[in-house]
Amino acid sequence: MSGGWERVRGSRSRTTRYSSFGSSAPSRTVTLGRVQPQAPGHRTIYCNDRDANFPVRFKGNSISTTKYNFFTFVPKGLFEQAGGELLLSIDLDLINDTNQLLKQLAYCSSEVGLFTFLWTSPVNPVTNVVPLSLVLLVSLIKEAFEDWVSVIHDYCGLHALSFDSSFRMMCLKNELYVLQDEKWEAVPWKKLQVGDIIRVKQDGFFPADLLFLASTNADGVCYIETANLDGETNLKIRKALERTWDYLTPEKAAEFKGEVQCEQPNNSLYTFTGNLIFQKQTLPLTPNQILLRGCSLRNTEYIVGAVIFTGQETKVMMNSMNVPSKRSTLERKLDKLILALFGTLFIMCLIGAIGSGIFINRKYYYLGLDKGVTAEFNPSNRFVVAALTLFTLITLYSTIIPISLYVSIEMIKFIQSTQFINKDLHMYHAETNTPALARTSNLNEELGQVEYIFSDKTGTLTRNLMEFFKCSIGGEVYGSGVTEIELGGAQRNGMKVQEVRKSATAVQEKGFNFDDHRIMRGAWRNEPNSDTCKEFFRCLAICHTVLPEGDESPEKITYQAASPDEAALVTAAKNFGFFFYRRTPTMIYIRESHVEKMGKIQDVAYEILNVLEFNSTRKRQSVVCRYPNGRLVLYCKGADNVIYERLASGNDDLKNVTRAHLEQFGSAGLRTLCLAYRDLSAETYESWNEKFIQAKSSLRDREKKLDEVAELIEKDLILIGSTAIEDKLQEGVPACIETLSRAGIKVWVLTGDKMETAINIAYACNLINNDMKQFIINSETDAIREVENRGDQVEIARFIKEEVKRELKKCLEEAQQYLRTVSGPKLALVIDGKCLMYALDPSLRVTSLVKKGARKITLSIGDGANDVSMIQAAHIGIGISGMEGMQAVMASDFAIAQFRYLTDLLLVHGRWSYLRICKVITYFFYKNLTFTLTQFWFTFQTGFSGQRFYDDWFQSLYNVIFTALPVIIVGLFDKDVSASLSKKYPELYMEGIRNVFFKWRVVVTWACFSVYQSLVFYHFATTSSASGKNSSGKMFGQWDVSTMAFTCVIVQEIHMHEPDDNIRAGLLEVGSQLTPQEERSYAIAQLPREISRHTGFAFDSPGYESFFASQLGIYAPQKAWDVARRASMKSKPKMPKRN
Amino acid sequence: MAMPSFLEEDTTLIDVNRDDPSSSSEGGGSDGDDKSILAHEIESKKPPTYSRFTQQELPACKPIITPKLVIVSFTLIGFLFIPIGKTALSASNNVVEIAKRYDMECIPEIYSNNILHYIQSVGTNKTCTVKFTVPKHMKGPVFIYYQLTNFYQNYRKMSYGVPLRSRIKDTKYMGSRSDRQLTSKAYEGAELEKCEPLEKVGEEPIVPCGLVAWSMFNDTYSFSVKDKALIVNKTNIAWESDKETRFGSDVYPKNFQTGDVIGGAKLNSSIPLSEQEDLMVWMRTATLRNFRKLYGRIDVDLEANDEIAVEIQNNYNSYGYGGEKLLVLSTTSAFGGQNKFLGVAYLTVGGFCFFFAIIFAIIYHFKRREIGDTAYLSWNRNPVGYYMK
Repeated sequence: MSGGWERVRGSRSRTTRYSSFGSSAPSRTVTLGRVQPQAPGHRTIYCNDRDANFPVRFKGNSISTTKYNFFTFVPKGLFEQAGGELLLSIDLDLINDTNQLLKQLAYCSSEVGLFTFLWTSPVNPVTNVVPLSLVLLVSLIKEAFEDWVSVIHDYCGLHALSFDSSFRMMCLKNELYVLQDEKWEAVPWKKLQVGDIIRVKQDGFFPADLLFLASTNADGVCYIETANLDGETNLKIRKALERTWDYLTPEKAAEFKGEVQCEQPNNSLYTFTGNLIFQKQTLPLTPNQILLRGCSLRNTEYIVGAVIFTGQETKVMMNSMNVPSKRSTLERKLDKLILALFGTLFIMCLIGAIGSGIFINRKYYYLGLDKGVTAEFNPSNRFVVAALTLFTLITLYSTIIPISLYVSIEMIKFIQSTQFINKDLHMYHAETNTPALARTSNLNEELGQVEYIFSDKTGTLTRNLMEFFKCSIGGEVYGSGVTEIELGGAQRNGMKVQEVRKSATAVQEKGFNFDDHRIMRGAWRNEPNSDTCKEFFRCLAICHTVLPEGDESPEKITYQAASPDEAALVTAAKNFGFFFYRRTPTMIYIRESHVEKMGKIQDVAYEILNVLEFNSTRKRQSVVCRYPNGRLVLYCKGADNVIYERLASGNDDLKNVTRAHLEQFGSAGLRTLCLAYRDLSAETYESWNEKFIQAKSSLRDREKKLDEVAELIEKDLILIGSTAIEDKLQEGVPACIETLSRAGIKVWVLTGDKMETAINIAYACNLINNDMKQFIINSETDAIREVENRGDQVEIARFIKEEVKRELKKCLEEAQQYLRTVSGPKLALVIDGKCLMYALDPSLRVTSLVKKGARKITLSIGDGANDVSMIQAAHIGIGISGMEGMQAVMASDFAIAQFRYLTDLLLVHGRWSYLRICKVITYFFYKNLTFTLTQFWFTFQTGFSGQRFYDDWFQSLYNVIFTALPVIIVGLFDKDVSASLSKKYPELYMEGIRNVFFKWRVVVTWACFSVYQSLVFYHFATTSSASGKNSSGKMFGQWDVSTMAFTCVIVQEIHMHEPDDNIRAGLLEVGSQLTPQEERSYAIAQLPREISRHTGFAFDSPGYESFFASQLGIYAPQKAWDVARRASMKSKPKMPKRN
Repeated sequence: MAMPSFLEEDTTLIDVNRDDPSSSSEGGGSDGDDKSILAHEIESKKPPTYSRFTQQELPACKPIITPKLVIVSFTLIGFLFIPIGKTALSASNNVVEIAKRYDMECIPEIYSNNILHYIQSVGTNKTCTVKFTVPKHMKGPVFIYYQLTNFYQNYRKMSYGVPLRSRIKDTKYMGSRSDRQLTSKAYEGAELEKCEPLEKVGEEPIVPCGLVAWSMFNDTYSFSVKDKALIVNKTNIAWESDKETRFGSDVYPKNFQTGDVIGGAKLNSSIPLSEQEDLMVWMRTATLRNFRKLYGRIDVDLEANDEIAVEIQNNYNSYGYGGEKLLVLSTTSAFGGQNKFLGVAYLTVGGFCFFFAIIFAIIYHFKRREIGDTAYLSWNRNPVGYYMK
């Protein structure tokens, strides 16, 4: 009897995807991150007995994902920031992580100053400490802020995720009652302890992982919503052990003294093993008795449960731990750049050190080198002099390492993600009230370099709103709609299809988009096959596991189903006049408005005898029911091939016609199911039922045995027809995909559909069109089938692998031919999942294949738990938020509500971020190199003694004060073209794919500028001060000259990028600091700038502005650079248009 | 679980167009449909509010550098810079400068193999006369400089035996001085550790202490034209700031140059430092190893073809380290002394700008290109290659 309820337990929404990708079954133990190995041993919990549990010291129920608290913040934070640098603690993790290491090194270089002032530093140590502390302070503030955010999120303990403000509020207000002295006492969440008996009211959240004991519902069931865990909004059923059903009232519950032996805390959400030792009996516990923290109670007045895992040990918290962190490829390249800078630093120091060894000589008597001077200046040991000078020079030139670079970049990215991406109204989905969410700020610029997108189909490209669209009953197709995919297919053939007008009779409802006057509104009675129709509708109304909710009227009722497909089918039955309105464990009540007499409504109660539940191996679901008149029927629905195998022989016409219809539906992109029934005689049923009950109560291999028993009765079926459900494409998907492909991004859609359907979908969403040359690799060839029939798995794998390899090679050759022709067609590749599976090393998924093999930046987008691995494997994982589960979102780096927002995310935000970060990095590189090189040139004039060119403060505050703001401004505000233009011309995105802004060539060019400009600054400042400075003939001293040079450098740096007014303010500031004498040198400083200004522009994309400006209707001719470029291009005959 | 109706109200409000900020507004429709806390919560989840900053619509301008703009600005720069350069260059050319190297000339023949002995002995006669002719009329004031080469006044060096605490301080040739000590009598003993090993005689501090002062230049010049002596004005050769703030008027030289080895000039201990302008000039250390320092001023004009005899007291030991000593007489212009660099730089930049302006103008005239011609976009120029690369 209770079989019908068990079905729900096993069902996850995914299981109703009748054809899942490849042939892999959706895993039941999908978790985020790695599944931790089961800790050895088990825990024993004494329910309702705090004293007995006390010695074990279970963790409390409070949760903290924060790193610091009020007292530890400063010392701990300082240690995190600076501790490693002191090289006292060599943390292996830190060393492994190159990023961290390089940060340490960057800090180190300034700390070298801290150390070396003791003997060799040329600069005042105070001035070394200040910039370092500024940098540390800024990072501390950032850490504190991020930590504060997690404090807020932690309050109730879900992972820092802003979605759940509702949950947060709930848990703040939620009242929790714990059994104390035969009364329910309200206690705060965090006071909860393992073993406590608690009561949770309707709509309340479970505060910890509970063992379900009793509920107010009959049969000890309760309904829970797991939206916070996996985002599934359908209700799930949990059932308490029969022996504990009575412990509902406080008086009774106080008597409950059980002992729970269960597994150690782990992160597997859907498994649980344990025993309840109770009244000297050992009762096995299953996940069915476990209520997980974060879920909420529905449709149940209240439940009573015992706490088994608390706080950090709850399954949801165990899950929210190890999220793999990703670093952007650009940042990895940046590490190389920093290493190169270290190399440069070392070479410069080496040159200086050798020079100093050669220079040092007693003949310079005025230097006082003869009176027993320190080793550093003792001419009798030149080697030591050189070695010590090396250290001096390291501190002197340490400005070449941009200490504040990482901090600046982090700040920039942080603002980019929290202010720009999260708050972009273009990526805000109003219907679900979901803004975009950058869950990490590490990958902003990676978004600007994506070359491959891997997309899930269902729920990502489509809405995952299943609508009953067509059906085939008794060999007749009903339903007049045309799917988008059919439209796409028609487009392919060049036909124009007119939008079919909806007739007035069409019923619009969620899950039902069907119109056919022949069977709507009871008209089916006049159809020739009206009996089949009746069976069809009854099958829809009876064979399911849907729960009705709300008023028992057709308008107000809502269906809670494990999957939207099921709900759609029941809704369809309702609209055909078979209204399913009530369910009890044994009965299903249908209001049938059919029957012989028109307009007559009749409530019929069908007794549900058995439910043979759906799973991914069976791919079908059956219900045995008894009509009020005693007729015994088995209704079955399932995937077409599964049903066809079990049909009774004969009636081949119907089978063939229906098969044709199925193919037709399939190629229209519809999800199909076959319906069948079988009349059972009482004897047949009884004998079978015995076997069934036996199998059901077996302890070993129960599932397998049940499957076997089901096979016995699910045969000799009579085909009724088939259903077709449409999953509509999301709004804007075709346009988005087209834009993305114009941007040079290759989009791969991974789908579990048949090849024809897949191609049709590809057409529908503009992925491929008629101009493209398609390469199709299919496993359904005769040769492969032949080998498959032989059944040797190894042989099959080998054969298919070779076959695919050959095919691919052929395609490649052909493709290369197309490429050689100038205006060749674009190419598309369709590959069968089976082929792919065999062709690849099984351990490699497609995503990681491209990531590793092609060294391209990949992006995965998906919405469900089955996409998690893909999302984590790609460089960037994107989760679709709002509709389906949260598992994808929790594993993702960015979450958007709709697929079409990818355009904005990649083309606008990604592109700008990439551009800005590249500029910031090169800018940093340039300004530090220029500054240090002037210093370097000066070294040659000072006998390699390591004398500094600039004042201490100038030198040490150069990065953190004098040039800090311009960099950040560039990182936040720089735009080359506006957002609308970068969406209008997606081709611009290809710059990012090719990484044109951060190649070694670019870096080297900047380095050349640095060398050139530092020479200009240095010589300008020194040469122009070689003679008397004014009419009184006075001469400049060194500090006069160096201040002048410094002013030149600063003014130049700030001018190099002057994106907006803030910087001008900075310039004025510098200007006002000039002394009258220096004002002229400032004027002089303008000179080299005039030259460099134009070379500086060489990095901008050539000629875009003028073109785009004209698109906007603004008169704007080309740049000077273009003029020169054009002059140089004269000889090339490549330009088609010339006026 | 039904979505409350106000959600739909919000929907209509959030249809914001990026290019039209005015259409944004706060989602305001919040009816009191307070069925549950959950509903309340959903309601209070506001969409992101519009601001120019978050939507990245802050006004920005990126100048489009058009050929016309470039040609015009280059021309302007040319027109502006060429005259400036011309002026500066001619000013520099009007400056008359005589530089006379005398260090070798002033070594008597007999000492030519033993220069160091000659320069280091106290007893040798260091007087020497150098004569030269004024090539052009030199309008007074004529500035007298001495020029040293290969002299590293900018050398960084640490002294011997400095205790740890004071190593933090600047100690080097350049830093081998106590600026604090120079400012006031009260600080005579201040920061002496920087001056080591020339900080004290016995317990008495040396004023001014350190290597810089110790190695002060001590050649002297006296000029005569036709046997008539020219008066050398040695006042006002130091910067005002040195006189007013950095060298105290109550600080008198003390124990200076009393050690075994005399580095250079001695100071008159009855004159306060603020009036010892030679010291101030010397103490303002030079940037480079070859430098000039102001020695004094001749306030009268020098006529062309005048023969000037300079009697030099050749005291300073530049021979040990292989440096040269030069005597420089120079007039000045508004741009300072003779320095062609500035003029040449302006002329070069101006000339280049002008030249390119002309080149660009010619190209622009003959090969004008339509603005916004999409054919020139890189992906249009070579579509196949662009997609496949």
